[in-house]
Amino acid sequence: MALISLKGIKKTYRLGQTDVPALLGVDLEIEAGEFTVVMGPSGSGKTTLLNIIGLLDRADPGGSFKLDGEELAGRDFNEMASLRNRKIGFIFQSFNLIPVLNVRENIEFPCLLRKEDRAGLDRRVELLAEEVGLTKVLHHRPDELSGGQRQRVAIARALVTQPEIVLADEPTANLDSATSEQILQLMERLNASRGVTFLFSTHDPRIMKRAKRVVLMADGKLVDGTAAAHAETHASSGLDHS
Amino acid sequence: MNALLSMAFRNVLRNRRRTLITLAAVAVGITAVGGIRGVLNGLQDSMTRGSIRGTLGAMQVHRTGYLANVMSTPLSLDFANDDALVKKVLAVKGVTAVAPRIQFAGSLTLSATDQDDSPEALFFGATAIDPVLERQVCPDRWKLFTDDTVFDDTHVVLGDALAAAFGAKHDSEAILLAPDRDGSLNGELAQVGGAMRAIMPGEMKIAVVPLSLAQKLLRMEGRVTELAVAIDDTSHLEAIASQVRAAVGPEFEVHTWAELAPERKTIMGIQNGVSNVVAVVFLLLMLLGVANTMLMSVLERTREVGTMMAVGLTRGSVMVLFLLEALVLGAMGAAGGLAGASTITFILAKRGIHFTPPNSSMEIDVYPFMTAAFTVGVMFAAVFGAVLFSLYPAWRASRLRPVEALAGR
Repeated sequence: MALISLKGIKKTYRLGQTDVPALLGVDLEIEAGEFTVVMGPSGSGKTTLLNIIGLLDRADPGGSFKLDGEELAGRDFNEMASLRNRKIGFIFQSFNLIPVLNVRENIEFPCLLRKEDRAGLDRRVELLAEEVGLTKVLHHRPDELSGGQRQRVAIARALVTQPEIVLADEPTANLDSATSEQILQLMERLNASRGVTFLFSTHDPRIMKRAKRVVLMADGKLVDGTAAAHAETHASSGLDHS
Repeated sequence: MNALLSMAFRNVLRNRRRTLITLAAVAVGITAVGGIRGVLNGLQDSMTRGSIRGTLGAMQVHRTGYLANVMSTPLSLDFANDDALVKKVLAVKGVTAVAPRIQFAGSLTLSATDQDDSPEALFFGATAIDPVLERQVCPDRWKLFTDDTVFDDTHVVLGDALAAAFGAKHDSEAILLAPDRDGSLNGELAQVGGAMRAIMPGEMKIAVVPLSLAQKLLRMEGRVTELAVAIDDTSHLEAIASQVRAAVGPEFEVHTWAELAPERKTIMGIQNGVSNVVAVVFLLLMLLGVANTMLMSVLERTREVGTMMAVGLTRGSVMVLFLLEALVLGAMGAAGGLAGASTITFILAKRGIHFTPPNSSMEIDVYPFMTAAFTVGVMFAAVFGAVLFSLYPAWRASRLRPVEALAGR
């Protein structure tokens, strides 16, 4: 059974009097443990697709969206918040750390929302911090960290709840090349060692090179929803890699 | 909840300048409200003390029906000033002294004055008191007398307006005329012992007469019209009054000072009303400031709210977070304001405020203070009000859609 199963997912935005279609019926399945990249030109619907998979936005009625076999259509806000907390991790382009919390508190924040036992949580946060290389800055505030360190905090926060899938929207867009490389290696390692499922939306060809599967999008549709392709295949596909 | 409370504290301290401005506004407002209330408490306490220790006593005992008929037949409702009755009153726990009195009206003529155009006779209202026992019930009455006043069994003290009208001198001979309880006019000679200030505006033609002289004048030897009662703790006034009522029986009525001088209660009620209106206006302005701060905070932190929602914060928790921030702001501002008000009232109470009220010739001493109930009330109003006024910003934050909030929209 696929971890994520989308069938006939559509999304239309209303801008003033105009309906703007963003997704025109997407069918997609993602298996557990995949390291998948969604690629496509700007406006192709990548971010909308990730937002719907991440339960940050709702698809238009009519399609089917299953997470781990569970149909998610029609859930209310708080049910979706709970599902996001338990099953989905997020890594954002701008890191999106909470400025008043230090590194440790940022990492453990999602677990505090579900009133997790303190002792077990402390141990897990320390292990994660060690794994992503943040042990020495656990008591620092986000504004005292470099961009790479901030993204490591975001990765640790995404993983601390032991989610079924981590969604990363342009995770390297605000990082320099060297730091991007380190972050990518870290996510690859976590994918391999912990079996965490990663789904990226990116323009970054380095992520594409490392992806086990690339999903291409154009004009709100999947160009090839099932193809497993390596970066080399798509590097010359004429897609927007800027 | 602990995590949200901790975040709320930090968020409040995050934009320090704005928080300081908001806190300063709340604190200054509450300091002003507290200061006004403190001074008013002191003023009202001074008025109450003046009434109880200056003229009325804590309560008075009269024959039943006396107050209802005070304008028509005040002397006919007299009673024997016997020890048995006084002992019954003194036996009540909390009663410290009893002084007999007669309230009567008459006319006054002075035989020798400084003025050629002095009136032949003037009507006046008099209180006849025992010079010894009265001191135990209303010791401050003597503060109303001018410095060189002599008051004993042969001297009367005239109100300053009355004394001025006659141009009265010390030891001027005064002729008192008054109808006795049967309506027959009688006269007595006395000396002017001095003048006294009016405690309340409008008390123009008043006099204090020694009880023994009044009893002769009114042909009421051994009889009085009232007993003024002093007690040890005015906070138990009503309870002690009930016990005195029970002790003297149905033949007598007992009234507290507030029942005897309802106009003073009315004045205090008006003062309290105005003070409350001012406090509410101040509080509303402060709370609008808090609401504005919270609204700005929500608008600035849209993306952050989106992030918290993305990792699982529910709408309810978003609302709680912002309401906790408002609560912290309100509590800190109220604490600062109450500290300021306490400091001001403490300093003023230490020095005392001495002033003469308008239309009164008597200086009063005001010692401001704040009550525990007021302090708790202000704290509650500031905290509860801050939360109430932040409901809209908090609700607005909670209604953000994660996808739009993350995009900063």
